[in-house]
Amino acid sequence: MGSVYALLGIGFSLSWGVMKVINISHAAFGLIAAFLAYTLLQAWGLDPILSIAVSVPLLFFAACFIYRFLITPITQAKEVIVSSMILTFGIAIILENLMLLIWSPDPRVLTTSYTSKVIIVGPFYFQYPRLAGFLMASMGVGIIQFFLKLTYTGKAVRAAWQQPDAAQLYGVNLKRISMITFGLAVASAGAGGVCMAYLYSFEPHTHSLWLIYLFLVVIVGGVGNVLGAASAGLIIGVITGLSLAFLPYQWVNLLTFGLLMIILILRPQGLFQSEV
Amino acid sequence: MVSSSNRLVFGVSILLFLCLAIFPWFGLPVYFVSLLFTVFMFVTLATSWNLIGGYAGYLSFGHVAFFGIGAYTTALMMKGLHLSPFWTILSSIPAGFVAMLIAMIVGYPCLRLRGPYFAVVTLCFAFVVDLGIKNLDILGGPEGLWLKSPDLPIETIRAILFEAMLVTMMLSIMLAYWTSRSKFGAGLRAIKEDEEVAQTMAINAPRLKIQAFALSAFFPGMAGGIYAYYLTYIHTDIVFDMMISILIVLMALFGGGGTVMGPVIGAVLLTLINEGLSTFVKAEFARIIYGCLFIGVIIFLPNGIMEFFKKEHRVESGISLAENGGNRSAA
Amino acid sequence: MIQNVIKKALLLTLAICVALIIAHPAYAEDKPIVIGGSLPLTGKFAETAKWIEKGMKFWADEVNAKGGILGRKVEFIIYDDESDAKKAVTFAEKAITVDKVDLLFGGYPGTAARAVMPVAEKHKYVYVSMGGHMKSFQQGYTYSFGGPPLMGEWWYEGFFQYMKAMPADQRPKRAAVYTMNNPIGASASSTLAGWLQKLGIEMVINEKYNLPLPDATPLIVKSKQMNTDILFSNGFFADGVMTLRAAKALDYRPKVIVQAIGSVIPAWVKELGKDGDYIFSGTALHNKLNYPGNDKLNAYIKKKFGLPGYPVYFGFGYAWMQTLSQGVEGAKSLDQTKIRDWLKSNTVNNIAGPMSFDEKGLPAPINFCTQIINGQVELIWPKEVRTAEPVYPRPAWK
Repeated sequence: MGSVYALLGIGFSLSWGVMKVINISHAAFGLIAAFLAYTLLQAWGLDPILSIAVSVPLLFFAACFIYRFLITPITQAKEVIVSSMILTFGIAIILENLMLLIWSPDPRVLTTSYTSKVIIVGPFYFQYPRLAGFLMASMGVGIIQFFLKLTYTGKAVRAAWQQPDAAQLYGVNLKRISMITFGLAVASAGAGGVCMAYLYSFEPHTHSLWLIYLFLVVIVGGVGNVLGAASAGLIIGVITGLSLAFLPYQWVNLLTFGLLMIILILRPQGLFQSEV
Repeated sequence: MVSSSNRLVFGVSILLFLCLAIFPWFGLPVYFVSLLFTVFMFVTLATSWNLIGGYAGYLSFGHVAFFGIGAYTTALMMKGLHLSPFWTILSSIPAGFVAMLIAMIVGYPCLRLRGPYFAVVTLCFAFVVDLGIKNLDILGGPEGLWLKSPDLPIETIRAILFEAMLVTMMLSIMLAYWTSRSKFGAGLRAIKEDEEVAQTMAINAPRLKIQAFALSAFFPGMAGGIYAYYLTYIHTDIVFDMMISILIVLMALFGGGGTVMGPVIGAVLLTLINEGLSTFVKAEFARIIYGCLFIGVIIFLPNGIMEFFKKEHRVESGISLAENGGNRSAA
Repeated sequence: MIQNVIKKALLLTLAICVALIIAHPAYAEDKPIVIGGSLPLTGKFAETAKWIEKGMKFWADEVNAKGGILGRKVEFIIYDDESDAKKAVTFAEKAITVDKVDLLFGGYPGTAARAVMPVAEKHKYVYVSMGGHMKSFQQGYTYSFGGPPLMGEWWYEGFFQYMKAMPADQRPKRAAVYTMNNPIGASASSTLAGWLQKLGIEMVINEKYNLPLPDATPLIVKSKQMNTDILFSNGFFADGVMTLRAAKALDYRPKVIVQAIGSVIPAWVKELGKDGDYIFSGTALHNKLNYPGNDKLNAYIKKKFGLPGYPVYFGFGYAWMQTLSQGVEGAKSLDQTKIRDWLKSNTVNNIAGPMSFDEKGLPAPINFCTQIINGQVELIWPKEVRTAEPVYPRPAWK
């Protein structure tokens, strides 16, 4: 579960870190990818993993479009964070209700041939969909790390993040880089959304739930820190798994949130220093 | 100049207060009283949130916790002490103090966090309180609490609650007004600009932040207490609804954070427009229009609606919150 | 500057208030009978609410085709409360005091109904709805009716009657109970302990969980380790699906799996297919019950939505309106107190069967037990309404 939230959260973290845009509609984009995967699976039996090939480019272009026409005007605001939050909250509402119109409010479940397979390693049980989600998420996180560290564009993104002015001096086209980052961020939400759909049932409203969790994972891990988000996700997963053995299940969620609070108080910059 | 503007503000507020105060006694349908009651509630919440979120730049996403704590304190006091209706309304004042006390306890460690980390820690705090009450049967547990409604006609009950909420709202706006012109407010603004610099200017930042946080929790607690009495059925899903937290933040920022009138305008506009949309437009389309409204307004007024009123008085551009957080953590 | 701000703000507010008041459509008298209220048409509970709305609308079309109630056509004002109980309260007040509706219709879910019931009582409006489970009917409200209610406390009554009729040595022995921590979960599980003891079933696990359920695997691992052979999953759809999938993945084979209300929506059968089979649950009404009206509803649903029978919530929406309209016709008036008194002293016939209400506004406990067999929700108990033989014990996973 943790790694999947991490994949869903990376993009959120990227756009926050690079552009100071808090994208409230992030999870809603992920949910669109989940619905697309569902529709493709139902109509042509296309495996959800393959559906990513369709939804990721689609979301990338949609995001670039949104960046160009909606986010550019607010980058001059006094506090971009604040304005972007309001803007993307609006986008999230619109997306949710568009989904409601297109796909109806019925809850959906992704069912594939390997849905109910399981691997047992010692005392641990791993369900196939969870494993698939984990692997896909790790791959996604890996690809993004690779992109950021080793490609020219990725390096420019990191530079823009750390020293926007200096980066511009060195000939980095900030506008273009920002647009690509935002596109990538939203596209990664698409991949994350499909992973989530492996684990949970979803309906148009579900994105707000995902958003809260990915917010937690991203921040506790350290804003903009990809590996941090992955570790924070894993920690939440481990807390949930272990606590059942020691205390009544109804206290699990409370314990999770309580521990996250304590972690943050002890480490005010998140688990890991935020750096790309 | 200042004093004449002061006098005008006072005059207008008192006039407005009186106009609003007699509103429920005109025999209009109870719904309008309830609607305005809700508007006042959100104005109170957004204005109070603005103290810590708008002035000091600490975005608290857990303010619903104080609202809920107020509601539950009142409900439990009423149940435990068998209060009469009159005392119940007054019991929202101790409810406010309970919220304030909890804010101080929680604020002490949490206010050391900055930017997004503070936002998340308050979010977690709201969940912890919510789940704690849900899991403890003595506090109502998953079933919630029922309050006894007094044997008065509904119009009277609504009118009394309306007045109570109106007074709460007026007090919270007065506090905001005072803050905006006091040293206290200036200190908070300095913290928002740059906390380190503020520290060197002999501003006791930790103390100011705690004070602001505690004050910003007091009125939500009171509002929660009054609201508990309005609803007569209290459940964690209702009074700890995360949507309230998000709405408060959006209302304040939509209107314009760090200003006195911004949260008021934001809360009034968003509540009324949403209500109007639900009334006249089919469900999904109403939501879509509501979403477009956010986008439309923010593209043209990226700093909130207040900008529209004071276009000519451009405020000095501050360093944005995240830039602060980001730079510091990168350093 | 501040004066300027205040002035502009005041004007804006005033304009909006005025627009809201003026623009409101006024209803002329002795036109149609207006029935108002709110449903969560968007947000968390949209799925269920849409079915309730369809049920109500179907009822209205049917009534209007026959000339209406008391010779007047009926018409709805349905507000969207965005799955927010606070909004449900304001909209109920709006319907009553601004729209001056003739009748109030029932809301969903239980938390909203719990919050609206005191409002209906204060305004003296008859409120026929699912109610908010037993506790809400014990608050002394006189205008609220569960006609029929969605009563967590009664939900498993039929199932346990069925278990009771089974020879003791064939019954399951050890129970695992997992309950979501909310009103419906609490009400549904409140009767479990007593019944299990009566039936000689040991309650080995009794855990609650808070929504959203992060992962169901630990629950099933524990049930398996403790060798439980009957699983109660008192949850909604999302957590119910997770529990069921985890059970299949870990090849946990209890004799019985019982689901609270997650399995009553059409999505359960549609999305889970074969895996969703053999789940036991309860209901207050059912499309295969032999009461007048059910065939008609089924035919409509089949034609319009391609489902084999009407979904439970479609039935609820329809049945609540039936109860309310029979109250109006019986009282021969739209006077709320007269309707209430008529309903309290007469018997109503709706698609859930004949029911007469006690002083709490409740009919006699309804106890149907259902099981999903081959993608169909079949009635199992009481025996006289049985539509299919129950599958017990549960076959292995496929």
